[in-house]
Parts: sequence; C-alpha cells; structure tokens
Amino acid sequence: MVLDDTGERAAMVEISLAAAGFKVVSVLSSASGLLHQIEQHRPDVIVIDLESPDRDVLESLTIVSHHNPTPIVMFSERDDPDFIAAAIDSGVTVYQNDALDPNLVKTVVQVAMRQFQSFNMLRQELLQTRTELEDRKLVERAKALLAKHRAIDQQNAYSLIRKLSMNSNKTIVDISRTVVATLGDMDS
Amino acid sequence: MQIINRSKLPPAEKSELQLGYIRLTDAAPLIVAKEQGLFAQLGLDVTLRREVSWANLRDKIAVGTLDAAQMLAPLPLATALGIGGMRADMVTGLALSLNGNAITVSAALAECLQLLGAAPEKSAASSAHALRKWLQEDSRSLTLASSHSFSCHTIQLRWWLRSAGIDPDRDLKIIVLPPEQMVDSLARGVIDGFCVGEPWNSIAVQHGIGAVQASGYQVCNNMIEKVLGVTQHWHNHHPATHLRLRIALMLACQWLAEEDNRLLAADLLARPEYLDLPVHQLRPSLSGDFQYSKHSGLIKLPHFHVFGRFQAGFPWRSTAESLLAECNKMLGRRATIEETRALVQQTYRTDLYREAARYLGMAYPEHDYLPDSAHSTAWEMAPGVELGPNERL
Repeated sequence: MVLDDTGERAAMVEISLAAAGFKVVSVLSSASGLLHQIEQHRPDVIVIDLESPDRDVLESLTIVSHHNPTPIVMFSERDDPDFIAAAIDSGVTVYQNDALDPNLVKTVVQVAMRQFQSFNMLRQELLQTRTELEDRKLVERAKALLAKHRAIDQQNAYSLIRKLSMNSNKTIVDISRTVVATLGDMDS
Repeated sequence: MQIINRSKLPPAEKSELQLGYIRLTDAAPLIVAKEQGLFAQLGLDVTLRREVSWANLRDKIAVGTLDAAQMLAPLPLATALGIGGMRADMVTGLALSLNGNAITVSAALAECLQLLGAAPEKSAASSAHALRKWLQEDSRSLTLASSHSFSCHTIQLRWWLRSAGIDPDRDLKIIVLPPEQMVDSLARGVIDGFCVGEPWNSIAVQHGIGAVQASGYQVCNNMIEKVLGVTQHWHNHHPATHLRLRIALMLACQWLAEEDNRLLAADLLARPEYLDLPVHQLRPSLSGDFQYSKHSGLIKLPHFHVFGRFQAGFPWRSTAESLLAECNKMLGRRATIEETRALVQQTYRTDLYREAARYLGMAYPEHDYLPDSAHSTAWEMAPGVELGPNERL
C-alpha cells in the first residue's frame, strides 16, 4: 500500500514496485478511510511519505491492536540504522508486518527510495530553472530602471551593475535586487 | 532580562543546531528564544524546523537530522519503548509548558449539551455529564479526535469522559487526527469533537464551528504539556550544548511568564515563517482572554498556558510515572514498578534541570517526586519554590 499526497510520485513508486514484482494493493492520497483500506487489503507493507501529516494517524492505527491482529511496525529492529537513516533522508518511511522477511522489505524500501530521490531531483531542477528565470527578469528590470534614471542606454546600465557587483563583492542578482528596491519605489 | 555570563559555561560541542517544533501556540518558547536572541546569547546558532507530524519529529531526532525538539510530554517515554514507531532512548531535562489544550465539540452538539445542563465555563464536569446524558438518549455513535495516541490530549480527554462515567473505549470512538485537520474535520462532520492544543480550539470558536467544553486546566490544573527532547546518544555527546539550549529556553519561558510579553509573542508566532496564522487566532490563549463559544463573552484564564511559573520547567518524575501508567493502560501493557522507575529515571532528568537552574540562580525542587496532595491554590513547597494548583476533575 502506498500513501502519498503527491500523485505523480505515488504513481512512479507504484510502477517501479510493480516492475520489481510487488503488487501494490492500494494507492491513497490521504489517511481518511485508511483504517477501512487496511482492513480490506491487509497490506504487508505500507510505504508513506515521511512528510505526510497523516503519519500520526497511521501509527495510532498500528497501536490499536484489535484493529490489527498482525503487529505493524515501522521499519524493523533488524534493519541497520544507516539504511533507515538513508531512507528517512530521502523521505521514505515504511510500516510493515513484523513477520515479514526483512530482505523483502528492504527491496521495497530501496525501490521507493530511488523513486523519491529521482522525484526530489526533478523538483530541485524545476526550482532551479524557475529561480534562474526570475533572476534574469530581475536583472532586466534593474537595467531598465537604471537606464531610465541615469539617462544611459541598457548596455551601459548593465556595465554599471557589473562594476558595482565587482566593487562590492556581491552578485549581479543582489545588486539588481537593491537597484529595483530603491529605484522601483521612486518609480511607483 | 538576565544577562548570562557565557564564560562560566563549558564550551558548546556544537553551535549550529536544528530544532524541531509543531505548528502550535505552545511552540512559543522555541520561537521566542530565537527571536529574542537568547540562543545567540548562549552562543548557539539555531535553525527552527516546523515539522508536520510528531512521528516525523521523533524519527528525525532518532536518526540525528534534528538535534532537539519540542515534544509531547509522554513522547520521550513512548519513543524509548518503541511504541508505534522508531525506538530510541530519550532524555528530557526541561519541560517547556503546562496546560494549553481544550476539548471542543461541534456547535450543534454544544447546543444539545447546553440543553442537558452543560455550563462549561463554570464546570467541566457539567459538560461531561451532559455528554453522558446525550449518549444515553441519542443512538447516534460519537467520534472524538485527539492529536496523538500518547499525548496529554488523549489522557485529558479520557479523564474528562471518565469523570462522568463515560467509558472512552466502549461508549464512543477516539481517533487520531493532525491538529491542522481538526477544525475542518469538525466542520465537515467527520468528527463530533476533539481535544487539541491552541490555536485550533480558538479557530473553531471564532468561526462558530465548535464550542469549548473544557479547558485542559479544568480537567487537570497545571499538567505538564510539552518538553524539550533529545536522544540519550545526543546528550552524551553534547552535554554542554544541551545545557546552553536549556538555559536559553528557560530564559524564553521566563520572558513568556510576563503578562506584558504575551501579545508580543502572539505577533512573533503569527509570522509566515512560524505558525503563519492571523494573530487574532493566537491571542485568546496567550493573553488569557479566552472565549468558549462564538457568542459568549471573554473570560479570564491567565493560566491557559503556563510558561516559566510554578516550576513549569521541572521534569517531575512523579508526573512521568503517571503519564507512563496512562499510556500502559491504553495499550493494555503491563510494566513492573522497577521497569517504570528505571525508564522514568533514565528519561526524565531532574538533575539536568537543576544544573541549568543553578547557572541561572533559580530556586528548584529538591525532590524528584511531587507529594501526592491536592492544592486548590498556588502554594510554596520550599522557600522560592512556588507550585500551582493541581486539582483534577
């Protein structure tokens, strides 16, 4: 069972778990109805996003033993701590039937971890691209403002920003931000 | 505020620290210590990390992603036992707050309870008894929520129900929900009521979604609520850092004990990088001008949260034993007296509290176990050691 409110990532995890020979009985986006789902599907392993706010809910279900005749534990005491730490760093947590073969569970965790890591990387790249785009817009705006206020052309305005950046040991983006903050206010 | 002479303190083993907290009003000591420069004064560069669940916070502490965190008072004990999740030996040498919770039911249920004699502002017993009558008359099943299985919320909810002879395991259902989902779940009728920390009760009240039936204080005066938790392993490797951390947070709690600072604290907490909520939702419990329902007047509850007063920071071992006993009862788990004592002594470190208090020149209790006597008013246990009322419903 996979519980993740990020739909795309859940789908990625499901596909790769299936490719590794595991059967994903249910993919949930939130813990509402979780108890019902657990009773219906009796999953051996539950993979859940570390950052899911529903983890306390899930744990409360694993504690109430009359709902779960088989104990569900988080990871296993038998797993090595480094492995667990790596899983947590990648954002994967796993609850499992305690009677399960630990190696099997380890494979599930590894598959999920890889998917989480590559998803995080994609998200990071997207964020990077977005920041770069915004930075470029900021520099353009600073150039235009400076050109207008100093009555110089854009080329010279950019040279001025670059000079300021070198003299003050600050990045061109930082200088542009200051320019926009001061001149932008005067403009409006 | 007191100026600390850092040169008297042993040097910190580590100065850059990651501290976890949950989006609740009683995260105040951590946020105040950061914003008032108290961590910095102690030579600590602290980054505060808002976590989405107690499980998350516990796991990050256990694997070392977080150095320390605000924790539910029973959580270090439950973590040491490995109940429900990852196991790690934990240590707390400082309680961060007393009280701070309330029990709220839907506006519709509150109206029914009022007709059955509930007058919660005057008596939490009256609302519990009204609920019992309602359960006897109405065949509909009732679902209440708490924010964690092993929390003072669950314990207070169960005590409140039991005070009127309601069996929390048989007569209704108690489920766990994240605090942030409480108000919405109440509005949608998924649950009929909840016991949660602030500001979630006040938010339900201000929107007319729910009405408070008991404050945590009414159920049990000055009950421990949150503690500062670290792993035993972390403490052993960073005793001097831990000491500085406790001192900074004790100073923050002293600051918060001043009535005049409470509204400033509300402003700090409201900021987008912290609780990210409108300040009017944070004021009622912090200022003590509290409202039980949308159309009722303000009442004075100066002890809704207690920080830094009544020896609030002292991690009483007697308190820890009773928390552990309640958790064991819920789990149907048996533990010998020796087992309980050993776990409590290892986890609730009164010696660490005293160590920090000595640096601050603060009076502290000499005993680890609170004598079993009820007090309806504040009382002096020893010269300079003032304790609050401790009556229970």
